[in-house]
Amino acid sequence: MAAVADKSTKERLVSVVDDLEVLSRELIEMLALSRAQKLPQPGEDTQILELLVQRDKEFQELMGVAQQQGKVHQEMQLLEKEVEKRDSDIQQLQKQLKEAEHILATAVYQAKEKLKTIEKARKGSISSEEIIKYAHRISASNAVCAPLNWVPGDPRRPYPTDLEMRSGMLGHMANLPSNGVNGHLPGDALAAGRLPDVLAPHYPWQSSDVSVGMLPPHHGNDFALEPPGHNKENEDDVEAMSTDSSSSSSDSD
Amino acid sequence: MMAVPQPTLEKETEDSSLLPLVHDIIKCMDKDSQDVHQELAKLKAKIQEAREQISSMPGIDSSPQDQQQQLATLREQVRTKNQLLQKYKSLCMFDVPKAS
Repeated sequence: MAAVADKSTKERLVSVVDDLEVLSRELIEMLALSRAQKLPQPGEDTQILELLVQRDKEFQELMGVAQQQGKVHQEMQLLEKEVEKRDSDIQQLQKQLKEAEHILATAVYQAKEKLKTIEKARKGSISSEEIIKYAHRISASNAVCAPLNWVPGDPRRPYPTDLEMRSGMLGHMANLPSNGVNGHLPGDALAAGRLPDVLAPHYPWQSSDVSVGMLPPHHGNDFALEPPGHNKENEDDVEAMSTDSSSSSSDSD
Repeated sequence: MMAVPQPTLEKETEDSSLLPLVHDIIKCMDKDSQDVHQELAKLKAKIQEAREQISSMPGIDSSPQDQQQQLATLREQVRTKNQLLQKYKSLCMFDVPKAS
């Protein structure tokens, strides 16, 4: 019984059709033989007929089962399509999740980098007052712009002086002697006219009558980090410089 | 709607019976009719037709029990996948761009 249940409906149907063919042939042959010999064979043909009827009934039942299985098969095909559709939906969702993960990972990385930069900036924080002071200082020494009334021979520098070049990084790379002057902003000292004559550069254009006394009096002051507010002339220089830069920028425009 | 497939099924199962043809053959033999050959040919054709029909019928490669099991598995798959999709959609963690 278990073997019958395990067999597929197709196999069972083929087997029943084979049986029907054999039984019907047997019955017809038997009947034909009995009619030809005029010998009635009661019982045997009835037995075959019963078998034939039984097999025919079985065949019809199996055909009914096969029809039902056909409908179930149709339903299964619909379900398979549904599964395929769900699969593609899930795959698309998975793809979108991957994309989102990638975007988020990039965003997190960038945010971490920014946090690192912020932390670094916090550690090395300098007050704005300090920066303004320094800006005033370098502006007052004419390190970034020549004074308005600068003429050749004026020791106030329109560009880095020989001494400054020697004491700078390039000078060190070329092993140029810095003449032992390694203080802060030596040019300031030069501009202030506080250098000894030995260290003071002499250029062909520098006439002998250009003296230290020509320098503005404020250059004689020490360039410690002092707010320029204490020195009115310094402030004027800064203003002149900023006017210069603004005018030059407007010229370039 | 439910009454429609049943007569069709009955008609099909009735049509599949070979007994009427066997009966016709026996009747012809009883009458010693020459139509017996024709009836025999009909029976052969009917058997051949049944074989062809069996080979072309869909979904009968497995037993009804196995088929029911496969059907249950498929239904379970669809249910699980639906649940999964529903779960993902209900998360609402991000906007899913609609496929245009």
